[in-house]
Amino acid sequence: MLLARVDGYAVSSIAHPSLKAQKIVLCTPIDEHGVDAGSPIAALDPIGAGQHARVYITTDGSWTQNTVHDETSPIRNQVIGLVDAPLSS
Amino acid sequence: MKLGKVIGNLTLSHADSGFRGGRFIVVAPQGAKELTGQNPGDHSDAWTLVTYDNLGAGVGDDILYVEGAEAMQPFDHRIPLDAISVALVDSFKYQPPVASHS
Repeated sequence: MLLARVDGYAVSSIAHPSLKAQKIVLCTPIDEHGVDAGSPIAALDPIGAGQHARVYITTDGSWTQNTVHDETSPIRNQVIGLVDAPLSS
Repeated sequence: MKLGKVIGNLTLSHADSGFRGGRFIVVAPQGAKELTGQNPGDHSDAWTLVTYDNLGAGVGDDILYVEGAEAMQPFDHRIPLDAISVALVDSFKYQPPVASHS
């Protein structure tokens, strides 16, 4: 599980069937101070995070298979929460 | 799931029969510099990897790929696979905040 900032999105028409009708966001991992902490990753976004929103992402594939109702889905990353308080004081 | 650019193909003369129906592509992972156009050209500083592809990705295409044990989830049999392409990217936007610390 990791903290990240939504910095964009990706659009695809040819994809694994489990990605159909799913929003895919491109996120930059951040640390507890909000500073960039790694290379961009893509994640499913079923909750609709806005641009530059800070989000909490799970990398648990079995949970995401549950979300897309497809046991054959290889997708791992998924936005599971929006961070709305300061990360650290 | 990460964004990568296809920079080549890998052809095997013999492969595990479980790999039938797909092929292997050579992928350059795309980091923040590549996605924001600060590093023109296909190659990134990141380690190049090979992924299984059954979507028909060609050289120059942007793809999303997944690494890890989940890569073999689409198969109904066990195969030695830990990276698979999951989407051909038509378009994307990547725009970190201007005051981003990097």
